Amino acid sequence: MTIVPQLIVNSLFAGSVYALMAMSFTLIFGATKFFNFVHGSFTVIGGYAVFYLVERLAWPIYIAIILSIIVAGGVGFILDKTVNLPLRKKKSTNTVKLVASLGLFIVIQAFVAILFTSQFQTLSNTIEQKIYQIGSAVFTQTQAVMFVSAIVVFFGIMLLLKFTLFGKAVNALSDDEEVAKIVGINTDKIISYVFFIGAAISGWVGILVAYDTGIEPTMGLGALLKGIIAAVVGGMGSVPGAFLGAFLLGFAENFGIWKINGEWKDAIAFGLLIIFLLFRPQGIIKK
Amino acid sequence: MPAYLIHLAILFSIYAILALSLNLIFGYTGLMSLAHAAFFGIGAYTVAILTTRYNFNFLSATLAGIIAAIILAALIGFVLSKFKGDYYTLGSLGFNFIIFATMLNLQNLTNGPLGIPGIPRPNFFGLDSSIDFNFLLLSTCCLLLVYLICRFIVNSSFGRALKAIREDEQALEIFGYNVRNFKFLVFVISAGLAAIAGSLFACFITYIDPTTFGSNESVFLWSIIILGGLANLRGSLLGALFLILLPEALRFVGFPENVAAQMRQLVYGLLLVILMMYRPQGLMGEYKL
Amino acid sequence: MNNTTKWIVGVVIAALVVWGLVAANKNKNQRNPAQKTVMGDTYKVGVMLPLTGDAASYGEPARNIYQLAVDEINAAGGVNSKKLELIVEDSKCNGKDGANAAQKLISVNKVQVIIGGFCSSESLAATPIAEANKVALFSPGSSSPKLTGVSHFFFRNYPSDASQGAVLADVAYNKKSWKKVAMMQEQTDYALGINSAFSAKFKSLGGTLVNEEFATSATDFRSQLTKLKSQNPDALFLDTQTPASAARVLKQIQDLKWKPHLIVSDILPPDTATVELYKDLLEGALGAEVGTDATNPKFSHLQEAYKSKFNVDLPFATYGQTEYDAVYMVKAAIMAVGYDGQKIADWSRTVKDWEGATGKITIGADGDPLSRHSPVMIQNGKMVPFAE
Repeated sequence: MTIVPQLIVNSLFAGSVYALMAMSFTLIFGATKFFNFVHGSFTVIGGYAVFYLVERLAWPIYIAIILSIIVAGGVGFILDKTVNLPLRKKKSTNTVKLVASLGLFIVIQAFVAILFTSQFQTLSNTIEQKIYQIGSAVFTQTQAVMFVSAIVVFFGIMLLLKFTLFGKAVNALSDDEEVAKIVGINTDKIISYVFFIGAAISGWVGILVAYDTGIEPTMGLGALLKGIIAAVVGGMGSVPGAFLGAFLLGFAENFGIWKINGEWKDAIAFGLLIIFLLFRPQGIIKK
Repeated sequence: MPAYLIHLAILFSIYAILALSLNLIFGYTGLMSLAHAAFFGIGAYTVAILTTRYNFNFLSATLAGIIAAIILAALIGFVLSKFKGDYYTLGSLGFNFIIFATMLNLQNLTNGPLGIPGIPRPNFFGLDSSIDFNFLLLSTCCLLLVYLICRFIVNSSFGRALKAIREDEQALEIFGYNVRNFKFLVFVISAGLAAIAGSLFACFITYIDPTTFGSNESVFLWSIIILGGLANLRGSLLGALFLILLPEALRFVGFPENVAAQMRQLVYGLLLVILMMYRPQGLMGEYKL
Repeated sequence: MNNTTKWIVGVVIAALVVWGLVAANKNKNQRNPAQKTVMGDTYKVGVMLPLTGDAASYGEPARNIYQLAVDEINAAGGVNSKKLELIVEDSKCNGKDGANAAQKLISVNKVQVIIGGFCSSESLAATPIAEANKVALFSPGSSSPKLTGVSHFFFRNYPSDASQGAVLADVAYNKKSWKKVAMMQEQTDYALGINSAFSAKFKSLGGTLVNEEFATSATDFRSQLTKLKSQNPDALFLDTQTPASAARVLKQIQDLKWKPHLIVSDILPPDTATVELYKDLLEGALGAEVGTDATNPKFSHLQEAYKSKFNVDLPFATYGQTEYDAVYMVKAAIMAVGYDGQKIADWSRTVKDWEGATGKITIGADGDPLSRHSPVMIQNGKMVPFAE
């Protein structure tokens, strides 16, 4: 039974990554109300940006990380203004926006693959990774950063939404876009800022993954889908829900493969999604 | 006819069948399913396993593939029918993943990543289709058959009901139509047709492995029907023609091979974005997304 | 449809037709330059190898070596006073493109013999096509046990991984006394081939196995490794397709503070960079390699010729030697029985003690060479022959 503490630790760290993706995804969903597949691309952009800066240009780590986060957020901001905004103005259906986001995702993935090849790249060998131990469970420094950042981001977003004017505007927007406009909120501007924040968080995930295991151009879809599953399970549009759903997913996967063979891990994740969609589609926390 | 063109024509007919069958559920009925590649794969794998291991002939293997796809579509369609809108798409993507994982992991049945080689070219009406030109005749006949089936469905009262479901499901329910049954039926039919494409694909390339049937393929099929135009059968043919010839055109432009593969993806993605922004009905669509 | 749509459709169709014809024509010319020469001037030898994709780093040197050998042969007078001509297709290290490459070489270029595939997936997919058309398929690099005796028309001068698996099982069980082995298995053709050979032999010796598999795209192995670690195996077999995959798993083994005895697949020991990086973890690791003999005159000639022509050291010498030999063996075949796929396939089974860069080559009735893998181990970050 000494395997259990390690599995718990593994679950917590997998959950942290999913939580970051899920929270950012659900935040954007709350504001824009459609499934935005391009969200996965920001992970790829963040990861490759930091890879490029650190590995190819030999910039110092902290500057590279901050710049990469800004780049990811920036691309999100720009994409919102150039693609989503016109579609919103045309009152396009959610389907159109979803398909467009899918197209953007493919374009970015292909673009990155052309620039950096499809080979796996890693930054995990560029820093000294301390290993910590609690009881019989072991984890690395990068994993600890993942967990801490998930908690920090959670509280950050909650505080932002509850106590700042911006946050209240986002809440109003999520509740009803028309009313928010009537009340005088510049919804388009708010949406682009939400995009920036969400994309930046997604980019941060890419950076974490680059240091923990490694990156490849196709990683965006996997990260995004886990984030979406977590968000749906937790309750779309609810940030605490996304947080909980992510850890539920992390535990389900890592404890699931205790008994089932590891290659079915993704199938377990999707199985969880379908079960929730069938029996509790509003998720754990109803928004 | 140059061998190369025959090769492309065969691929066109296979993807045209996939596009037509997907258009039935996506364009006409409004069911945005990303699971289509899975049914393509079920057809292919059933035929591959039955012809290489149990010496089935082409016709009976294809029929078995269609039945397998129909059974699976019945199960999946039933579960999916509980989902609405974007959740439907998400759920269908999930099913595509699960079937893909099954193809990869059940190695005793499917050989997993090693794939199944040596799938025989069929003999039909005395013609040996290991000659590509003869295979082209076979695939064109299948395409014609599928096109006629789709046209029949679309022009019938069943087809009209489907379009009505796409436009306003609730209104139709009020009128007493059993919407669930209609959606279920068309989903199952479309899966069966996709299995025909799978059978042709397996016998043509003579080798299959799971990578052809992942979510990338489902998205590619979406681009074909969205480009060609939803709810328009000729549009699907046009879309398939365009997207099959595109990589060849890219190679013609002279990109090195590995960049060309990514460029192809880039162009698909760009096409989707541009279409959505400026012409969501595609080239010939009667239905704006 | 309205007028605008008609216009658009018309233009698109016209463009497509033009594109299609021009593209087809251009490709035709690219693929059949030989049609310009009079049939009978050269012996066309088909070549399929991975020029793009994951295995491109193996494909490029292979192409160089084939061309090097052909140039040498042609300079010395060719074969029966005709020149050898290579026709190269990119098989991209997967079955679908392997099948396509073979189809094109056979139906469009009408070759009687193909050197290839390199990756086992290419060879497995191409063999039925070669057999149906009575074309000889000769692989210098495919190691899957599934290719043993698969067809009279397939043969190779590179040993099957059955030998790798058997050697590893034997040394692990008998010499190292590892009775319980955990396997961290990548789900790819080459790696799975070694697995089945190893598992069969290991179990027949009385050993027990615990198996976890992962897809190439997986990045989080921690829970699987945790599960394997809790089973207390005597050793962990890290069976991966590439050194990069092995590196990813090794890092997480390290992160879990686990130092198991290791067995590795044969792509890892020659990869000095990865071995150096994880040398503590890999100390004493067991592997099995196809050897090269620096004293073999043909082998050293190959090394010098490659260096002087391409300005780099011969990469992947294990494959370089078999690739070089392959071309010369095709020459010998044509000289002995003529340019005919059936006869070349028949001839291959008669090859006995043929002197090549790999030493004396004998090919058995199942198309496999008699050569075997030999055990190696990693000491101080270097690959050395196994010693107890």
